[in-house]
Amino acid sequence: MIYQTTRAAELESLSIFRDFINNACQQQGIRDPEVVYDLKLAVDEACTNIITHGYSGINPGSIILALEFLPGTILVGITDFGHAFEPSQSPLPDLQANLEGQREGGFGLYFIYQTMDQVDYETTEDGNCLTFTKYL
Amino acid sequence: MRSFLNLQVKQKPGKIVPDAPSISADQLGNDPAVPITLHQVNALPHNAKLRIYRALMPLELLTRFKIDPIAWNASGGEQHIWLQADQGTHYTALVGSVSMTAEGEFLRIELSDNAINGIDLHMLVLSDPAEEYFRTDFDENDQPTHFGTARRNLAEELRAMQAGLAPGQTRRGLGASTAVFQQLESFLAALGHRAYFLEPLTYVSAWVFERRGFAYVRGHKLMDDIHREFQPGGKLHRMLDGSSPFRQPDQWKSVRGRAWAIQDGVLDTLETRWDGLRMVKQIGRHARVETFPLAQY
Repeated sequence: MIYQTTRAAELESLSIFRDFINNACQQQGIRDPEVVYDLKLAVDEACTNIITHGYSGINPGSIILALEFLPGTILVGITDFGHAFEPSQSPLPDLQANLEGQREGGFGLYFIYQTMDQVDYETTEDGNCLTFTKYL
Repeated sequence: MRSFLNLQVKQKPGKIVPDAPSISADQLGNDPAVPITLHQVNALPHNAKLRIYRALMPLELLTRFKIDPIAWNASGGEQHIWLQADQGTHYTALVGSVSMTAEGEFLRIELSDNAINGIDLHMLVLSDPAEEYFRTDFDENDQPTHFGTARRNLAEELRAMQAGLAPGQTRRGLGASTAVFQQLESFLAALGHRAYFLEPLTYVSAWVFERRGFAYVRGHKLMDDIHREFQPGGKLHRMLDGSSPFRQPDQWKSVRGRAWAIQDGVLDTLETRWDGLRMVKQIGRHARVETFPLAQY
């Protein structure tokens, strides 16, 4: 079963994405609140990156959020059409500095890697697609 | 013609086309996942590209206008479809006309390779040549208005609006955009493309393209802003003050009404213009964008 919603790349859309994840998980009988929380956290961080960096300097376009529920697995697809990322080249954040309040870039990606089992990223003709895999 | 007394079923039907070596065009032998550009197609000999571009022509329209899908002519032999795909160019146009004149045009599709060798749909016009013509494409001095973007013919725009047309239209549409987009997607998928792009000319076009499955590369937020500000109490709603025929109070309720108000310049109040929007259609995927929920046309 695939659930999909498309919203403008603006911070106001984040709460809509969180509600969307809640509803989809509820409909699919995902009862573990930690799983739902992890999905929302990862999507929130990824979309914040897209909104603040991916569409920087552009009248923001769309973010397509898709959730696919497979036996034992949830796939999350986030597609945008802004500037492409190169996540493999992003440095890991200085966790200690962040804890001391000197938050720097890259912390969002850290959360995503901590909460998702697999993270893939691809830029093709039809957009930038970030895919998370969460095993149940 | 051969005379005969009877007909019987052939035991071994002959081939429509004799067996022949495979097509020799180099690009057809390459990795089929690598898209072919229009420039590459246009480099082919005329008949080869004609075979390829035939797949761009929606059969539904050919049937409607009794045009042969292979020869592109009518029973009288006169041509009704024209292809422009010159060697060395990145641009292709397909034009259908019932009368071999601009007045008879019912279809115009213009495509080009973009800077990253993707595909841009530059223009798509679907108009019913049997319907009344509104001269919104030329001003009173016979200067082209470029669909009302460069100049305006206010008298004709008013007549067009009152007749139920949208900005940029010179005649009623054919109601065939779904078929045209399906055909276009099949054609582009055959060339190996995964998406195509366009810049919506008007608010109505953007709304139609949303319904056809497009998302926004640029301008989704602008569409959300427009919807919000057209609500009662919003800045755009306040601009519908009756100060011109295109700014009547009820216009916020419909897609066309909003579009005519935008054509009349109401976006100035948001300190923006209808400019720079860009949309993308992923082949085979509907983005389900709806910036004007439960809209009436």
